[in-house]
Amino acid sequence: MAVVNRILCCGLVTLILAAAGCSPSATKPEPGAASAPAKPEEQRPGEGQSGATGESTTGQSSLDQLQKGKPPTSGPLKDIYFSFDRYDLEGEARETLKANADWLKRNPAARVEIEGHCDERGTNEYNLALGAKRAQAAKDYLVTLGIATERLSTISYGQEIPVCQDHNENCWHQNRRDRFVIIQGRPAS
Amino acid sequence: MLKIVFAVLLLILDASAVSAQPKPETGVRGEIVGQGGLKFPIAVSPLKNLGTSPDVGKLSEGIADAIVYDLDLSGWFNVLDRAAYIENAQKSGVALGSFDFKDWSTIGAEGLVKGGFTIQGDEVTVELRLFDVFQNKERVGKRYVGRVKDYRRIAHKFADEIINQFTGVPGIFNTRIAYVSTSGGRFKEIHIAHLDGSEKFQVTNNHTINLSPSWTPDGKSVLYTSYKDRNSSLYLFELYSGKEVKFTPRNGRYLGGKVSPDGQFIAATVEVGGNSNIILLDRNGNLIRSLTESPGIEVSPSWSPDSRQLAFVSDRSGSPQVYILDVTSNKSRRLTYSGNYNTSPEWSPRGDRIAYTGRVGNRFAIFTIGVDGGEPRKLTAESADSEDPTWAPDGRFIAFSSNRAGKYNLYVMQASGENQRRLTGSGGDDTKPTWSPRLE
Repeated sequence: MAVVNRILCCGLVTLILAAAGCSPSATKPEPGAASAPAKPEEQRPGEGQSGATGESTTGQSSLDQLQKGKPPTSGPLKDIYFSFDRYDLEGEARETLKANADWLKRNPAARVEIEGHCDERGTNEYNLALGAKRAQAAKDYLVTLGIATERLSTISYGQEIPVCQDHNENCWHQNRRDRFVIIQGRPAS
Repeated sequence: MLKIVFAVLLLILDASAVSAQPKPETGVRGEIVGQGGLKFPIAVSPLKNLGTSPDVGKLSEGIADAIVYDLDLSGWFNVLDRAAYIENAQKSGVALGSFDFKDWSTIGAEGLVKGGFTIQGDEVTVELRLFDVFQNKERVGKRYVGRVKDYRRIAHKFADEIINQFTGVPGIFNTRIAYVSTSGGRFKEIHIAHLDGSEKFQVTNNHTINLSPSWTPDGKSVLYTSYKDRNSSLYLFELYSGKEVKFTPRNGRYLGGKVSPDGQFIAATVEVGGNSNIILLDRNGNLIRSLTESPGIEVSPSWSPDSRQLAFVSDRSGSPQVYILDVTSNKSRRLTYSGNYNTSPEWSPRGDRIAYTGRVGNRFAIFTIGVDGGEPRKLTAESADSEDPTWAPDGRFIAFSSNRAGKYNLYVMQASGENQRRLTGSGGDDTKPTWSPRLE
């Protein structure tokens, strides 16, 4: 090992000698060094407070709740859950969706935004796409159950807004979900 | 309004009269020092105050510290402990013949960095030299002029030069990392910092979720995904002016995007009706054409250095795998076959390998694989999760995020996986690092 080191050392010295004095194209003034960049623009008051479609939300979306620093509240529509890296609807999810469809039939003025969520594992952008698949899977099933597609919109939050913050399967299971947010026609009660 | 606040004029003058000699063999790159655990012993002396102004900002040790940080982070040097130095930096000279090499050979130094500085108002002139202790020779000397508060940049420039002397390719310490951070709060914002944690700059402050920053090839703008307008969209933020452009697709939502190395195109992930695909935009966000048209998940495009191919992730095989797509023909081929979860590909600036995140058991690790396939190399241990690799502009280092110390922090390693070092954290979760191009 000592011999190897010595050989490598000698090689290194040779390399330094070879590198010696390769005088950089000096005496040439360099352009200004980069970037202590400018300040970002301040957020305008109220930015991000209105729905992208122009509809008023009831302020219950997971993003709204995150901004308020509150956990997402559960409404009359129940969450459904998924396996890791899956977006197919399991039996229990289908039963929950049937109950959600029944509620939507009883409340024909209600419109719903379906939020797709993932657990924290894996890559953010992939999870955004996976969450979109999960939201779409629920929407498609609700449509087959007779809910008008115009009443249903989807959004994915990927792994970005977990409902449970711990790093274990129990938590991950709770986070791999679709959440149903009533954005219009919320019943008075 | 142009808010250029950096505008430091760094003049580099030749401080040494070393005659021109042949350049080092290009075949002999940094690897010669990095492998087998052999590190080159080097001493970095505090700098001598050559002027009459007192060293209020402690530049003497500050510049040396910044060089030490860089050399240490590279993994190629054993920087000798300053406590062992014999010579008094303020009393001995900085030029050849004005100090005794024996003071340095005695403590085992084979390389030596010395220098001096002169402060005049808020400007400083710094002169730095690299010596070969064995040969009693000066290898390179440079003089820099800049603002006193930018002294670390001068140090990083000379660290790049030292690495150039040893490996034939300059170092990558005149760069920044863009990343996503919670900073201990509940929002995810885009930040930029130097590898040493200095020169921190917060790109977004909109109190929502901001993701996946990437750099334009000129290093002047950052493209990122944000929920600040409720729906995820792409935003191109110009660092110098604060100007920002929002890109909105005709249908659906943008989940991410990357500007091509030639600066001409943006490859963006767009989600429509639950299906995510990759589309080609011009630099102004206008649709050129679709690159994938799949009913599944197609995400995370990463350009080849020649802007002609993209690595991306598709679940068309039933699990997320890395594919390579030829942008002119739209033909794609599968690259990864081992494991059932391979995501976030990043094409090396050298062009030969692709780094990605792979699932191993219940953990995630960083891998690289040749662009023509072959056996992947696993670079991180699965005792914790390591994700989101990003290449340094020289292709010799990879930064990534890992929860090995509890929260997610940013780390840097050699492209071989050696010398993994944690960077200064925000106190929150720091994720999705993206290495800037070389900045000038």
